[in-house]
Amino acid sequence: MNKHLFTTLAFRNMKRMVRDYLVYVLTLLLVTALMYAFNSLIFQDDTKKLIGTDDGWLAFLLVLTTAFIIWIVTWLMRYMVRFIMEKRSGEFGIYLLLGMKNQMIFKLYQRENVLLGIAAFVPGLFAGILLREILLAVMYTMLRMEYRLHIRFHGGTFLMTAVCYAGCYCLALFRCRRTFKKMTIRALMNARRQNEEIRERYQNVKQLLFPVSALFLLFLRRIITGLDNMGKVALFLICLVLAIYLFYMGLSAWIVCYIRRKGSAIYRGQNLFLLRQFASKLRTMQFTMGTLTALFTIALMGMTIALMLNAYQTMVLVEKAPFDVQLYNADVHKDFSRELSLIESEVGITQSHVYHIYTDGDDQVAVWLYTHLETWGTIFLNEDGSANLELIREEQLAYCASDTYMRLSDYNALRRMLGYETVSLDDGQYAVHIKKRLRRQAEAIGDGLEILDASGKEPLSCAGIYDEPFSQDGHNGGDCLIIVPDAVAAARMKPYYSELVAKLEGEAPAGLEKKLDMLSLEGKKAWQSEYDVLYSACTGSDHLFNSASANLVRDNALSEAGYVLMSVIMPIAYIGFVFVCVAVTVLCVQQLSDSAKYRFRYDVLRKLGLNTAQVNGLIFRQLSAFYLCPAVLAVVIGSMVLSISRVFVRETGVETAHGVFFLYGVGMFLGVYLVYFALTYVGFKRNVDGSL
Amino acid sequence: MEPYISVCDIEKYYGIGANVTKAVDRVSFNVAQGEFVGVMGASGSGKTTLLNLLATIDRATAGHIFYGKTDITALSDDMLADFRRENLGFVFQDYNLLDTLTIEENILLALALQGGRRQDVQRRCDEMLALLGIADIRDKFPYQVSGGQKQRCACARALVNHPKLILADEPTGALDSHSAQVLMETFTQLNSSENATIFMVTHDAFSASYCGRILFLKDGNIFHELVRGKKERKLFFQEILDVLSLTGGVHYE
Repeated sequence: MNKHLFTTLAFRNMKRMVRDYLVYVLTLLLVTALMYAFNSLIFQDDTKKLIGTDDGWLAFLLVLTTAFIIWIVTWLMRYMVRFIMEKRSGEFGIYLLLGMKNQMIFKLYQRENVLLGIAAFVPGLFAGILLREILLAVMYTMLRMEYRLHIRFHGGTFLMTAVCYAGCYCLALFRCRRTFKKMTIRALMNARRQNEEIRERYQNVKQLLFPVSALFLLFLRRIITGLDNMGKVALFLICLVLAIYLFYMGLSAWIVCYIRRKGSAIYRGQNLFLLRQFASKLRTMQFTMGTLTALFTIALMGMTIALMLNAYQTMVLVEKAPFDVQLYNADVHKDFSRELSLIESEVGITQSHVYHIYTDGDDQVAVWLYTHLETWGTIFLNEDGSANLELIREEQLAYCASDTYMRLSDYNALRRMLGYETVSLDDGQYAVHIKKRLRRQAEAIGDGLEILDASGKEPLSCAGIYDEPFSQDGHNGGDCLIIVPDAVAAARMKPYYSELVAKLEGEAPAGLEKKLDMLSLEGKKAWQSEYDVLYSACTGSDHLFNSASANLVRDNALSEAGYVLMSVIMPIAYIGFVFVCVAVTVLCVQQLSDSAKYRFRYDVLRKLGLNTAQVNGLIFRQLSAFYLCPAVLAVVIGSMVLSISRVFVRETGVETAHGVFFLYGVGMFLGVYLVYFALTYVGFKRNVDGSL
Repeated sequence: MEPYISVCDIEKYYGIGANVTKAVDRVSFNVAQGEFVGVMGASGSGKTTLLNLLATIDRATAGHIFYGKTDITALSDDMLADFRRENLGFVFQDYNLLDTLTIEENILLALALQGGRRQDVQRRCDEMLALLGIADIRDKFPYQVSGGQKQRCACARALVNHPKLILADEPTGALDSHSAQVLMETFTQLNSSENATIFMVTHDAFSASYCGRILFLKDGNIFHELVRGKKERKLFFQEILDVLSLTGGVHYE
């Protein structure tokens, strides 16, 4: 074939493909934009410098994420390449009839796809450059830094995006040549007819899969919290995927059997048509629907987890370090003079206080916490409900070996520094300061402790429990601190370790915490490890993020923690968003293709007397059922994440009902979903109306 | 007596300005209740356009079509849909059966769209399946049965709601000669036993010979009309061929 004619034909076919599969092209454009924007974060050196960290954590996770994205985008492209091939089988048959060779048809199709890819990639790049700015603005806000808009093109990012995108296309077209090689005119011409054949065998048996798989999914939902090793998790996932696929097979058969049984619904209006359409689509697409459900589930769970982490960052993290600077030292004679000089030289100090945390050598508070907090469950309880002291003293998971106390005078000095009201205690009283998230569980702590007065003869009474943010990840105790009158500390207790808190004149410069760490290491004794010097032993029970560093500079710590959280949130959101888009694209393309191919069905319905509003209503119901089916199943399965968010709320103290994250996740998911649904509905109606 | 269907000076133009094509040009005729009318003509003579106008699928440029006292050219789209559902039945060359529904379900759907009690709907469907001799293939899908069986299913669907008029567009066009004969005998039976009024467009003289009256269309006008009366079908067939030979035959579309 003439080269010019070949290129013209490829170009024209590409233009037709863009028109016929616009949603697919728009998704490719969106994926390119997302790829460019997220890839640019890998090359974002400014952020690393600002935060003062260069551990490559974000870059590593993004590269890992990119691998997932390439996998799913390749799946989409491969699906579409084969889908379009099948739809155009008649046309390829005509090319063969005209004398074109199989190899040439493959080259034509390949060229069309490359042109289509470029048509989506180029505008996608421009969209990506803009999206990058939005992403960076969000990222800088998360890192509590100011971002100035700076639109620019980055060569490295472009190269990486182009390689990823082209890689996806190569993988998608891989082995396509073989399919073309095997094509015969007869097979191509018959391909369409074969697809229209409806095979309904063993439906009575298959329908049983519907209730069985539904019950099995509910059972899996119940046992999710009991998965305590990788083997069980793997088995759980295999069962889950199997249940999803069988669910669709069963649902389709169940509907067919319902129609065959002549259920009463089929005698009402357009129900018979709708049920048959739905069952037929489910049967032919059961594996695709299963895959889409899995993608939706992952996206939904990802979005929920990203929202949980974001809530943690905005609600909890800022309360983790209430003091501008807080330093710990195991040496009870430490005066922190060198540290104070360093801070003074770096930023300036408006107020500081050096004090001791005391101990009486007992561990009754730790025992009470280990045996009463929900976090620990029954780990430290004997079968008769008493405390397993041997295990507690052997493990020492979260609390110091001895209980931590603070003098009332030091306590009030710190409260004044933080702007809290001061507290007064009588000689016979003590107070408890505990983390807010544990307050409800620790209401009865006063009844379970016996703290003696200065004479060591009379027990003190609990005057109250306080729960303001108070740096209780190892500095002012772990989770809990007992405040006693100064006289009690002087008479019965000894200093346990030294602490310094300071209020700064301005914002702490990046790297101040690292400089303080270096100073601490200079004073390291031969018998101490680096860990002993840089971390407190009494970390408390917070799991997600623990500020147990000996030297805690709030501005530095929040930026660093924000960076770590962002490194997790961003890739999860990225994966979730792309998975949803890919899955909905497949749904959309399937329906639009059907609307063009089977528009005579709606023409027949009009001839049977349906008016325009009724046909539109029918299309709406048909699309709703088709779109809702994998979404509802994904929401049911994805609601397993509720168990995780329940634990998350309990363990982190985020003040939000655990179901809210899931609801927000579903909301975001439905937002993307609705856009594609609207596109499908409009396109479907246009295709069907075009038949008249 | 008032005619069952009355077509008065109906016109249908396509295109604008200098490119106007007169598909149907001031055509008038009446159809009596229980009549079996055929329309023949060469390609582009306007026979399918005329059928579409009667079927309310297309709108006339001028003129009126009365079903009893109802002028369908004055009805809105929604009213036309109701009118179609309650008064018309369709049989087309390509059957127009819904491929995801079985033979029985195709008939059932037409009834369900009308509404009615479940028992009545099922009884009526069973009756039609028996009447058209397709009860034994009721559970099969359209792709599993022959063209003739598909067309009989289409007939059953068209007749199931007791329409005022059955419109058939080249119903034998995709059938072999035996199936075409069986179908036309079915039409005749429906016409005589069920008193169904049938309006059929065809290019096939054999199929047309089953009609009671034939309108011959040329360039959008009725140029000839044949009435069978008490004549034998073979004689009527010969008369049709004679008319066609005068006009140079019918070109297949």
